[in-house]
Amino acid sequence: MKRIQFNEFEVGAKLPELKVGPVQHMDLVRYSGASGDFNPIHTDPTFAKSVGLDGTIAHGMYVMAQVGRMCTNWVHPAQIQFYGIKFKGMTKPGEMIVCTGEVKKKKEEDGKKLMTVSVSAANEAGEVKAAGDLVVVCD
Amino acid sequence: MALSKDIVGKKLDSYQFTVERGKVKEFCRAIGETNPIYTDPAEAKKAGFQDTPIPPTMQTTFQFWGYPKIWDDMKGMGIDISRLLHMKEEYTYLKPVYPGTTIHAAGEVIDVKTGKMDMVTFKTTYANEKGEPCILAEMAIVIRPEGT
Repeated sequence: MKRIQFNEFEVGAKLPELKVGPVQHMDLVRYSGASGDFNPIHTDPTFAKSVGLDGTIAHGMYVMAQVGRMCTNWVHPAQIQFYGIKFKGMTKPGEMIVCTGEVKKKKEEDGKKLMTVSVSAANEAGEVKAAGDLVVVCD
Repeated sequence: MALSKDIVGKKLDSYQFTVERGKVKEFCRAIGETNPIYTDPAEAKKAGFQDTPIPPTMQTTFQFWGYPKIWDDMKGMGIDISRLLHMKEEYTYLKPVYPGTTIHAAGEVIDVKTGKMDMVTFKTTYANEKGEPCILAEMAIVIRPEGT
């Protein structure tokens, strides 16, 4: 895998987008099993409705994993120093997850060449479901 | 039930979780990850790793598979888990984690905010057998009020 060079990307540079979905009920069943997060709001529509939701919702961590895939399609995983996400909205079965990223800041700190990338996941209508930062230690 | 700020500083039980190659594959399959560095040791070595690294969010499996008691712990803290929503997840990566590593996890509550929506923040350190921290995780959850 290619490593990211500090001079390779300027602020404003965009990461290759990753489009996932539409999210299927089965994706959430599979993710529950793999992750061990068996909260039934993700897999049981009757339960989800009983706690006031319209139906099941995707795990926030499933969405974060998709943004993570976009990140490591772009950057060598050993260069990632920080990856953080704030969840802004619920993703429902049937929705697409569109992952995007843009270089926000470049700075040298403690001898490290750091690049901060704003990353997010939205549906096809552009409603942001998750957003955060990826910090890359560049060569 | 309102949350009490007294739970700040409360430590969760420490636990151990051994990272298995099959579990990493299962997780990759579940998230649609096809990059071979996560599953093929030869590809990982070509990329400069000792062995296959884990995907950046894999440690969520350490938590839920290694410490399913988290749900009961949260209930015990007064958190209505049926109304829980994940609000924030942050990872700081210090060292790579490879299959075969036994992770030692230690977590605690570091913040509680009460208001229209109660919020609880947990911090977990995932260390390797040598006690070297590999990943630091911060998770915040909110509890949806009744009627929303």
